[in-house]
Amino acid sequence: MAVAARLPDQRGRLSARSPRRTGILLASPAIAVFALLFVAPLFTLVWNSFRTQQGALTLQNYIRFLGDPFYRDVLWHTLLIGVLTTSVCLVIGYPFALYLRGRSPTVRNYLSLVLLSPLLISMVIRAYGWLVVLGPNGPVAALLHAVGLPAPPMLYNDTAVIIGMVHVMLAYMVLPLMGSLDRIDPTLVPAAKGLGATGYTCFWRIIVPLSAPGMLAGSLIVFSLTVSSFVTPAILGGPTVKLMPYFVYTEATVSLDWPYAAAIGFILVLVTTVLMAGYARLLRGRTTKGTFA
Amino acid sequence: MTAPAEASARDSGGGQTRGRLRLTGLRKSLGGREVVARIDLETEPGEFLTLLGPSGCGKTTTLSMVAGHLLPDSGTVEVDGRDLTTAPANRRSMGMVFQSYALFPHMSIADNVGFGLRMRKVAAPARKRKVTDALEMVGLDGMAERYPRQLSGGQQQRAALARALVVEPDLLLLDEPFSNLDAQLRVRLREEVVGLQRRIGTTTILVTHDQEEALAVSDRIAVLAEGRIAQLGTPETVYLRPATDFVAQFIGEVNVLAGRYAGGQDCQVTGGHLVAATVVGEQPSVGNPVRVYVRPEAVRIEAVRIEAGSAAGLPGSVTSTRFLGTRVRCVVATAAGQIEAMVPFDGSVPRLGEEVSCTWQSRHASLTSAAG
Repeated sequence: MAVAARLPDQRGRLSARSPRRTGILLASPAIAVFALLFVAPLFTLVWNSFRTQQGALTLQNYIRFLGDPFYRDVLWHTLLIGVLTTSVCLVIGYPFALYLRGRSPTVRNYLSLVLLSPLLISMVIRAYGWLVVLGPNGPVAALLHAVGLPAPPMLYNDTAVIIGMVHVMLAYMVLPLMGSLDRIDPTLVPAAKGLGATGYTCFWRIIVPLSAPGMLAGSLIVFSLTVSSFVTPAILGGPTVKLMPYFVYTEATVSLDWPYAAAIGFILVLVTTVLMAGYARLLRGRTTKGTFA
Repeated sequence: MTAPAEASARDSGGGQTRGRLRLTGLRKSLGGREVVARIDLETEPGEFLTLLGPSGCGKTTTLSMVAGHLLPDSGTVEVDGRDLTTAPANRRSMGMVFQSYALFPHMSIADNVGFGLRMRKVAAPARKRKVTDALEMVGLDGMAERYPRQLSGGQQQRAALARALVVEPDLLLLDEPFSNLDAQLRVRLREEVVGLQRRIGTTTILVTHDQEEALAVSDRIAVLAEGRIAQLGTPETVYLRPATDFVAQFIGEVNVLAGRYAGGQDCQVTGGHLVAATVVGEQPSVGNPVRVYVRPEAVRIEAVRIEAGSAAGLPGSVTSTRFLGTRVRCVVATAAGQIEAMVPFDGSVPRLGEEVSCTWQSRHASLTSAAG
């Protein structure tokens, strides 16, 4: 009798209190990994960036970076590559995501696989592949020669880096866009048309504003991955395209100036964050008053 | 099987001359299936017409072709004599309310309602005035600056209605607009919509699978089955004198009697008795198999025994009674089968085993050819 009387009570208490506890329990491995492998190192990084190699507190690392036109140019160049790669991904990816909207699941699955296939190959191999394709004896140059056009230098410049980056980053742009487009009620466009809107108006006033969250998410991922990428710019950019991650690497491993490397890294993180926050504000303010928050 | 169009019972939309919709030979196949086989239909200006049928009967497809969201395979859509069959949706003047309401989630209610006016390049001051009037008309004054997600289902529905009506369309198209609401709200909003429609007199086409809703709101009902109009008529006609087995069974309960046509309004049912009903559809020949449909509500029960062979009623004995407050539900076993009757409670309930006679007025029952 005592057991029978306690059981429902225990159950009742479990169902009343457990969701919160279960939630924390479920999230804890991820939180632990995040805290240990991201938050803690980031604090260490920031802390180190304000010290001299001897350990004294200083602003010297930041003054050195911001005071040197060479480094300011590197930062500018890195952001430019990031913006261009993101823009190209958006311009190519948006129509593709729009096309996938309303296709049959089979078509979507196959095309998603095609989209994700670059991610299945090692970054180094993929970059070397582009080296062959874009090289002076590669198929692109051969094609241009065949039609009688001079082949411009396609390697070791910004174009090569952007082509290599877009190849991988397109998937990161299209997937959030697809998710965002799928969430748009399919009757909204007929409703707008019934009220007199043209296809053009439907696109710019209904589809684009409502897919802004996907554009934002995709742009965030593509931009931050691009400005922090090392291998692809290193291989395809050659000696002329030197971006921020390259200098973090050389300061840390060649000059062994870890505090300066930390400062370069933190400047990149900070600038990226500020830029992205501004971009998010712009998108929210202009297009999607009702959909966020 | 298409019943001839009857004149509207109610002289609806007094004085309205705009909004005469004519569908001729409309046909549409989707994914290899003929969804709309043949629809011929003409509305009176100001009429409230309902397309009623189960899912897959082609009612929404028909509405989509009227709205211009789908192109028919053949047939024409005309409004007030203008052929709109191939006109794009944005060049037709139709206000539509969707089942999901389809409010633009990123726009305020005022911007939603004003969208059609903006598309018609109505200047801002006039637009603002019209939007305010429309919101007041549907009882949403003061909600203009809210966003759709901040409104309840019923309020969203009203906003969608205001958005459809503010452009003063030729036709108001309602695609299952009440089905996402709870039962009480559904009835209330339905009454409001009918009241509004009577007042402004816009020809309205409602699509629904809810027969009670169709009976309650319509001037005429087109019952659709397998892409065709099974019957077109006033709610009373469709309910009391169904033209086909499908219509009879789809709209409420019905008694079905099998027999042979005996000329005039008579049918000789199994057991030899004659019952009277109105011939609906093609005229059967005497002696041919026919069916009689009569609703439980139309059946009267009289305690008097009548002579066999007279057309006055169907004798039988009461086998079950159920007191339902204002009414009594009786089952009477007759030679032609069981008859269900819903009779008003007048102080006494028929006794079990009592010999009674089931009667009804011939205009409250239909007689159709059983062949096919």
